[in-house]
Amino acid sequence: MSKKLKALIIGFSLFFVTACSGGAESSGSGAISTSEIVSLSEDVPPGLDSDGPSASIPVTQMAIGNIMEPLVYYKDGAANATGVGLFDFNEFEGRLAESFTYDEATLTWTFKLRQGVVGCNDETFNADDVLYTFARAKSVSGSAPIGWFLSNVADIANFTAGVFDADAAVATAAKELGDEVTKVDDYTVTIKQAKPNKLLLPVLTIFGLNIFDKEGMEANATPEDPWAHEYSNNTNLPSFGAYCIDNWVKSDSMTLVANENYYAGAPSIKKVVWRKVPTSANRLAAVQTGQAQIVDKLTPSEFASLDGVEGVSVSAVTGNQNLFVHMNFLTKPFDNVLVRRAIASAIDYDKIIANGYFGKAQKWDSHMPSTYPGYKKADSPYTYDPEAAKALLAEAGYVDDGSLKLTYITELESTLGPIATQIRADLAAVGINIELDPIPQSQFGDRALVKRDLPFALNDNEKPIAVDSGYATLLFFVSAANGSLNNMVNYESTTVDDLYVQLKNEGDNTKRDALLAQVQETLMTDVTWVPVVEYQTQWAHSDKLSGIKWHPDNGIRFKDLSVASN
Amino acid sequence: MAKKSVKESAVFKKALWYHDRLLLAGVIIVSLALFLSVFGFMIAPYDPGTPVGPISQAPSSQHWFGTDSSGLDVFSRVITAPRIDVVLSVSAALLSGLFGTLIGLGTGFYEGRFSSLVMRISDVLQAFPIFILAMVLVALTGRNLVNLIFALTFLYTPIFVRLTRTEVLTQKTRTYVEAARATGNSEWRIALKHVLPNSLTPSLIQLSVTVGFGILLTAGLSFIGAGVRPPTPEWGLMIATSAPRLILGEWWSSLFPGIAVSLTVFGFAALGNALERRVGSA
Amino acid sequence: MRPKQKIASVAHLRKVCFLNTEIGKTKVASYVLRRIFIGFLQAAGITLVVFFVIRSLPADPVARLVGFNSTPDVYNQAKASLGLDRTIWVQLGDFVGTDGSGVITGDLGKSWVTGSSVTSGVATTLPITLQLVLLSFVVAIAIAVPIGVATAKRPGGKLDKSVFGYGLFAGAQPEFWWALMFIFFFYFQLGIAPAPLGMLDPLMVAPDKITGFILIDSLLTGRVDAFFNALWHLWLPIMTLAFILSGPIIKMTRQSMARVLSSEFILYSRASGLSRKQIARSTLRASLPPILTLTGILFGFMLGGAVLIEQVFSLNGLGSYSIRAVLNLDYPAIQGTVLIITIISLIVYLILDLVLVFIDPRVKAQ
Repeated sequence: MSKKLKALIIGFSLFFVTACSGGAESSGSGAISTSEIVSLSEDVPPGLDSDGPSASIPVTQMAIGNIMEPLVYYKDGAANATGVGLFDFNEFEGRLAESFTYDEATLTWTFKLRQGVVGCNDETFNADDVLYTFARAKSVSGSAPIGWFLSNVADIANFTAGVFDADAAVATAAKELGDEVTKVDDYTVTIKQAKPNKLLLPVLTIFGLNIFDKEGMEANATPEDPWAHEYSNNTNLPSFGAYCIDNWVKSDSMTLVANENYYAGAPSIKKVVWRKVPTSANRLAAVQTGQAQIVDKLTPSEFASLDGVEGVSVSAVTGNQNLFVHMNFLTKPFDNVLVRRAIASAIDYDKIIANGYFGKAQKWDSHMPSTYPGYKKADSPYTYDPEAAKALLAEAGYVDDGSLKLTYITELESTLGPIATQIRADLAAVGINIELDPIPQSQFGDRALVKRDLPFALNDNEKPIAVDSGYATLLFFVSAANGSLNNMVNYESTTVDDLYVQLKNEGDNTKRDALLAQVQETLMTDVTWVPVVEYQTQWAHSDKLSGIKWHPDNGIRFKDLSVASN
Repeated sequence: MAKKSVKESAVFKKALWYHDRLLLAGVIIVSLALFLSVFGFMIAPYDPGTPVGPISQAPSSQHWFGTDSSGLDVFSRVITAPRIDVVLSVSAALLSGLFGTLIGLGTGFYEGRFSSLVMRISDVLQAFPIFILAMVLVALTGRNLVNLIFALTFLYTPIFVRLTRTEVLTQKTRTYVEAARATGNSEWRIALKHVLPNSLTPSLIQLSVTVGFGILLTAGLSFIGAGVRPPTPEWGLMIATSAPRLILGEWWSSLFPGIAVSLTVFGFAALGNALERRVGSA
Repeated sequence: MRPKQKIASVAHLRKVCFLNTEIGKTKVASYVLRRIFIGFLQAAGITLVVFFVIRSLPADPVARLVGFNSTPDVYNQAKASLGLDRTIWVQLGDFVGTDGSGVITGDLGKSWVTGSSVTSGVATTLPITLQLVLLSFVVAIAIAVPIGVATAKRPGGKLDKSVFGYGLFAGAQPEFWWALMFIFFFYFQLGIAPAPLGMLDPLMVAPDKITGFILIDSLLTGRVDAFFNALWHLWLPIMTLAFILSGPIIKMTRQSMARVLSSEFILYSRASGLSRKQIARSTLRASLPPILTLTGILFGFMLGGAVLIEQVFSLNGLGSYSIRAVLNLDYPAIQGTVLIITIISLIVYLILDLVLVFIDPRVKAQ
C-alpha cells in the first residue's frame, strides 16, 4: 500500500477517534438536571413582536406567552387521565390584575392591579404599562394589527376600523387612545366596552394583549419607530413574565432563564434551552436518548412508538386541534347539499382514527371544539355509510369527471398523507374519483384565507384563538357580508347570521349558549364543513418532568413544569 | 519493448472484458427499467394508489416489500414507479438534448458576439443553484408531470449546449468542412448535414447520464415536496414519505425505493460510460 | 531524435518542448478584470430575472402575515408594510438601492418572515453550508485523488476495476437516501454517530461568533470542547457528501492521469531522464485541469444541493434558508440568497479558471 494511502488511513482514524471522544463526553448523557431543560420544537421564534410579521406563527405566540404576562387568565381545572392540567374556560382569575369587577350599566371593567410585580430587568408594573399596551395596539403601527383586532372583536370602545381610514386625518384621530382605557390611579385601570360582549376577558388572555413595560419599550424606541417594533421583534420584550431572554439566535435557538422576581414565585426550572429541530424524527430521537426533556409536534406514529419506552412519557389532551374537510360553496358540485352529505357519509372515520392518529383522536360531531364554552354535540352526527353516500349521489344526479382535487398542506405530508390517501380510496368506493394536491403552506393560506377559492381541501390547522364558540362563529361561519373573518368556504346562511347578531352582545350565558346550540345544529344540517376528528395535542417528555398544562395556543408554559430529582 | 507490448495488450483485453461487463450491467438495468415503465402497471399485484393492507407492515408473503404508512403495497409502487421516473427523465433528456444540441451547433458554428452572449447566459444558468431554480419553476407552474419535464429540460439544456459547442468548435476546423465549403454547400447545409452528425457523439453519450441525473433530481425534488404529487408512485416521493418512519423501525418502505433509484441511475451511468469508452474516443 | 540533453528541471523541460508560452502579467490582469466585469453582469442578470419571476408566482405572501384575520383593511395594511402596494418598478428601484440603500450598498432588504436583514440571515447560514461543502470536498479529494492516481498507474488491474466501479456507482447516488440509511445504521443501530440534531449538542453553548465558521471560531476562542463536538456532529454529513463527491472525482482523476501518463509529454520526460519525483509532479500538474473543472462544477452544484443533507441532519445552512424562503414566498430572502449563491459560484469558477491559466500553459487567456 502506498505511503500516501497509509498516511491517509492513519489520519482519518485519528480524526475519527478524537471526534468520537469529543462527542462521547456529552452525547447520550441521559442524566438531567432538575433546573435546566432542553425543549425542541419544529421552529424557534423568528420574531417576537405580537403586532409583527411572525405573530401568526405558533412558536412566536408560545414564546410571548412565556416571556410576557396577561392581565387575567383562566382558572385551573382538573387534570386529565395522562396528567395534563386543564383550565376551566368559564372561570377567570387575575394575573397582573389582582381582581376585577364589571359594571353592567356602564359596560366598564375595573381592574385592580397587582403591586410589587417586577420584570426581568427590574421593571416595575403599574397602570401606565397597561395604558401603553393598549395605546400601542390602537396605533396599528406594526405589520399585523393583532392587538387592535383582539380589542375590536371584544367591542372595546373606540377600537374601530377608523384606524385604517384612507383619510389620514381620520385615521390619526382614530388611533389616539381615548377614555376607553383609563388610569384611575397607579394600580387601577378601567376598560370600557361599547356593547355587552362576553369576549373581553377571553381576549385579555391572548398573547396579543399581554402587557408591555412602558419604560423599557420607550427606552428602545426611535423617532422612526416610536412603538419599538424593531426592538420588540428582534431583541427583547420588556415585560413581566416568568422568563427572560438570555440568548436568542433567530430560527435556531432561544435560551430562557427564570425571572427570579416573578410575582407568582420564581419558576422551578431556571433555564430552558429551546432549540429548533425541524425534523420530527430527530426530535423523537433526542427525547428518547434523553438529550431533550420535552418535545412537541411529533407525528401520531412517532408518539405511538414511545409506548412502553423507559424514561419517556407521552402526555396527551383533547384540546382544540381538529381535522375537517373543506368544501367551497361557490364551486360545483359542492353547492349541492346532497353531495356534501354524501361525502360526509363516505368517509371511514374509524379507520382514520386508527391509522391516521393511532387512536389518539375522537370523532368530531360539531363545528366547534368540544372544549370551548358553548359547544354542543350534534343531535344526528354524520356516520360512515357508503351505501347511503351512493344513494345521495344518485339523488343529486352527480356525474363524476375525475377533476376534483383534494388540497392539503405539503409540509404536513407525514400526517395528512395517509389520511388523504384513505379519503381518496373511500371516495373512489362511492364513485367519486379525486386527485391529491399538496401545496406549500403559504399558498394554502393564500387560497384558503385570502382568495377563498380553494374548492376541496383537508384542513387540520384552524383553532379559534379566543376560547369561545361565539368567536368561532364570527371567525368561520358568519357570512362575509356580515363581518366574518375567515369564512373559507364562502358559506352564507341568514339563519346563522341572525343568530350571531343576537348572541354577540347577549350578556346572559344560558341564553347565549342556547343560541349557539341552534347555530351548531344549522351548521351540521348544511354540512358547512365535514368535521372528521378532534385529535389530541401531545408532548413527549422525560418521565421525570411533570406539570404540563394545556393552553389554548397549544404551547408550553415552562413555569408550569418541574423536574423530579428521582 | 516486445514483452511490454504483449503484457499491455493482454491487460487491455482484460480491461475491455471488464468494461463489457459494465456495459452488460448497464444494458440489463436500463432494459429492466424500460420494461417496467411499459408493463409495470400490468404486472403489479396491487393498485399502487389504493390502500390495500394494514399500515406499516413488514415484508410478508402477501406484500413482498411490505406496506407503507398509508397501507399501500410497496412492491407494486416500486415496479410501477419507472413509468413516471424513467419517462419523465427520458423525455427531459431527449428534449434538452435536442434544444441543447441545436443551440450548441448554432453558437459553435457561428462564433460571434451573439454566440458569446448565449454562452454567458448558459454559464449563468449553470451557476444557478439547481434546487432553488427547480423549486421556483415548479412553484410557478404547478406540481404535475409536464411542468416537471419542462423544469428538467430547462436545467439540463446548458450541458448539451456546452458539449455540442465544444465538439463543433473542433469539428469546424477539420478538412471535410473545408471540402464541403469548397464544393459549394451553404453554411446551413454544412452545419446540419456534415458537422452536426459528427458532433453528436458526446451528446448521445451524455444522454444516458442525463437520464440518470434526471431521476435523481426528480427524486430530490419530490423529497423536499416539489416533485410529483402523492399517491403517484415515484421513488423519491416514496423515500420522502417513508423517511419519517425509518426511525420507528419501518425500513422497508425507504430501502427498496432507494435501492431502485440507486441501481437505475447507476445503470444509466454505466451504460453511458461504457458507450463513451467504446464510441467516444473515435 | 534530439540529442540527449541534461534536463535540469521541469521548467527547463517545458522550455525545451516549447510548451511554455509567455503569458504576460498584464494579460492575466486584464483577463481577470474582464471576467469580473462579465461576472458582475451575470449576477445582475440573474438577480433581475429572479426579481421578476418570483413576483409572478401564483401565491401571495401577504396571506402569511395576516394569519387568522383577513378583513380587507388588515390585508391592505399588511400589504403596505411589505411594500407590495407600490409599482414593480418602484420595488425594483428600492431593491437595487436608488433611494440610498439597496444591493449597491450591500443591503439585501429585510426578510418578511424573520423581520431581520437578509444579509444577516445569509451571514449566519452561509458559513455552515460552506463549512460542510468545503470539508466534504477536502475529504473527498484527499481520498479520491490518491486512489485515482494509484489506479491510473495500473490500468486494468484488480484495484482499478473495483475502484472504477465504485466511482461510477458513488456518483450516481441519491445522497438524501444514503444520509437516511447512514443515520439508520450508524446512529440507531450502532450508536457511533450522534443524533442528527444540528451542529452541537443541545445543551452546549455555541462559541462566540467571529467568522461564523463554528470550527474556526471554537479554536479561536479556545473552546476545544465545542470544536470536537462540532466535528462529532459533522462527521456523518461530511462522510455522506464525500461519498457522493468521491465518485466523479475518482473517475476523473483516473481518466485524466491515465491520459497524461500515456501522453507524449510524459514519454518525453521519461526519455529525457527526469527523476520519478519530477515526472510525478508534472504528471499531477498536467492532469489537474479537468479535475479542477469538475470540482468547480461539483462545488456549484453542491452549494444548492447540500440542502437535502442539511435537511436530514438539521443543519441550519444556506440551502435550508433559501428553501424556506421559496416556500414562504419571502421575496427579499429569495432574491438575496440567489444573488449570493450565484456570486459565490461565479467567484469559484473565476478562481478555478485563473488556476487553470497558471498551471496549464495550453489554456490561453482569451
